[in-house]
Amino acid sequence: MNIPERTSARADSRLEVREGMRIGAGLVIVMMGGALCILHASGCRERKVEQPIDYSHKTHVGTAGIACVDCHQSVESGIRATIPPLETCKGCHSDTPLTESPEEKKLLNYLANGGEIPWNKVYQVPDHVYFSHRRHVSRSKVTCQECHGDIASFVNAVSFQFLPVTMENCMKCHKERNVTNDCLSCHR
Amino acid sequence: MPKWAMAIDLDKCTGCESCMIACKVENNVAIVDPEQAQAGRVMYWMDMMTAYESEDTQVVRRIVPKPCFHCDEPPCTVVCPVGATYRNPEGIVAQVYHRCIGCRYCMAACPYTAKVFNWYAPKWLEDSACRPNPDVSLRMSGVVEKCSFCSHRLQQIKEIADLEGRRIEDGEYVTACQENCPTDAIVFGDIEDKDSSVYKLSKSYRVKRYMDDLDVKPKVFYLSRRTTE
Ligand code: HEC
Ligand code: HEC
Ligand code: HEC
Ligand code: HEC
Ligand code: HEC
Repeated sequence: MNIPERTSARADSRLEVREGMRIGAGLVIVMMGGALCILHASGCRERKVEQPIDYSHKTHVGTAGIACVDCHQSVESGIRATIPPLETCKGCHSDTPLTESPEEKKLLNYLANGGEIPWNKVYQVPDHVYFSHRRHVSRSKVTCQECHGDIASFVNAVSFQFLPVTMENCMKCHKERNVTNDCLSCHR
Repeated sequence: MPKWAMAIDLDKCTGCESCMIACKVENNVAIVDPEQAQAGRVMYWMDMMTAYESEDTQVVRRIVPKPCFHCDEPPCTVVCPVGATYRNPEGIVAQVYHRCIGCRYCMAACPYTAKVFNWYAPKWLEDSACRPNPDVSLRMSGVVEKCSFCSHRLQQIKEIADLEGRRIEDGEYVTACQENCPTDAIVFGDIEDKDSSVYKLSKSYRVKRYMDDLDVKPKVFYLSRRTTE
């Protein structure tokens, strides 16, 4: 029973080779795409994230003089920095608009209708990585700028990763500052 | 540099399997269909193994907990072709799931059969009380996983200790199995610290090392007054 199957397997194997070549060609294309991606490493990472309100950090940090911790409340005490809830905006923005900006109108609409603003995440580590703001900001005094850029001068909403969240970028800084690069310190 | 080790006191252990369940829940270990479990694909990081204890002329059959032994000279790490499993400076034998290619050499090399393979991507019910632990990643199908000494807990405890500028105290870093043991049979800690309870237990006359003749220097040891096999 097995013998005829084996002989036909020969012919099949030639077919498989041709099939394999086709897959190979496909792979080359994919790999070329990948190479392009590496060449434009920043381009692939810098996919622009749309935000529901074109929120300006410059207005608030620069002009209104609010500190990062006032809005990103657990940045010094917790793992996540957190995005402020509408409650925080309410303290200054109420029924009478402060500016003529259409963006503020959107905010007032959210305030009137209730429900949170659906901000989109820009910076994100995957679930298998442990990243803690408290560790970087409170203990070692790594400034926000080093990872997030000069946010205080951003006129538009945060839409791209200044220092892309890649293992390479994490490890590069750790190496420079003599911090452990043991896999188990970051991975879980 | 601390070195983490575990002692399991078989004179206290009742074989209730609390540790096994606690581990499974803590570490998002996949729940396998009954048919697949029958085929030997059941997944536990803390398993129960059968042991025979003798005292005088009596022989008793019982079940005892068996985590990964986190050997000081692990046979599993040397066979890994991609460096997904390695022994870290604190003595924890780590498994980096995203690096793992699922060749299962390490499973074959492990004398304690402490490693398990993900045959299927685990399914998690979205709206149930049994949500996965967010501190532990979910593994995909085709990778090997095993007990990590709850190293995700160490990450957070180390951070708090560093922020307060002190060492991790004895009994601060507890594993899920230890925490849930009703008879406190599991003791975990830094074996380099001469004041730690695990160090003291490691010097007890009751110490029994499982498969000691292999010389892989396991960091999990059993304590028993009886002869255990
Ligand atoms: C008045 C409150 C407020 C203050 C003060 C503030 N932020 Fe923000 N921040 C926000 C809001 C709202 C968002 C979400 C909108 C966005 O992404 O632009 C945000 C988003 C961000 C993000 C992007 C997060 C992500 O991944 O989506 C970063 C990074 C950030 N802020 C850093 C800073 C830094 C650094 C400072 C201090 C210089 C600061 N913020 C001060 C309100 C504030
Ligand atoms: C401490 C008070 C304060 C808080 C809190 C605050 N804002 Fe403002 N915001 C201001 C001031 C002041 C202006 C007007 C600045 C100016 O005159 O140009 C403003 C202006 C704006 C504008 C108009 C466009 C611009 O940037 O000029 C938007 C949109 C806005 N804020 C969104 C928000 C959101 C969203 C929050 C909550 C995360 C928030 N603000 C919280 C003080 C605040
Ligand atoms: C060492 C690099 C680094 C530094 C320094 C840093 N961040 Fe971040 N930040 C990140 C990474 C990585 C993430 C993504 C975290 C995640 O997904 O859990 C992030 C996320 C955020 C977010 C999005 C919300 C969240 O918690 O996920 C905000 C807001 C933010 N950072 C604000 C700040 C502020 C404010 C500072 C300075 C006080 C700061 N960050 C310093 C790397 C950094
Ligand atoms: C700009 C520099 C910088 C970048 C970028 C950076 N780190 Fe760090 N990281 C540090 C410093 C400095 C420390 C030491 C903290 C301390 O003193 O406790 C540290 C410590 C850590 C620790 C604790 C290490 C230990 O001792 O156990 C972890 C975990 C960590 N970083 C994760 C990350 C991850 C994940 C990323 C990338 C998303 C990242 N870091 C990016 C500077 C950086
Ligand atoms: C400083 C923190 C840090 C250390 C140390 C570190 N990693 Fe990572 N690793 C990351 C981050 C952050 C990512 C996610 C990168 C991304 O999303 O692109 C990652 C991703 C990965 C991935 C890719 C996962 C994927 O989905 O593609 C692998 C594989 C990996 N790490 C293996 C390792 C190994 C092996 C070591 C030890 C030699 C290690 N890592 C040490 C931070 C770290």
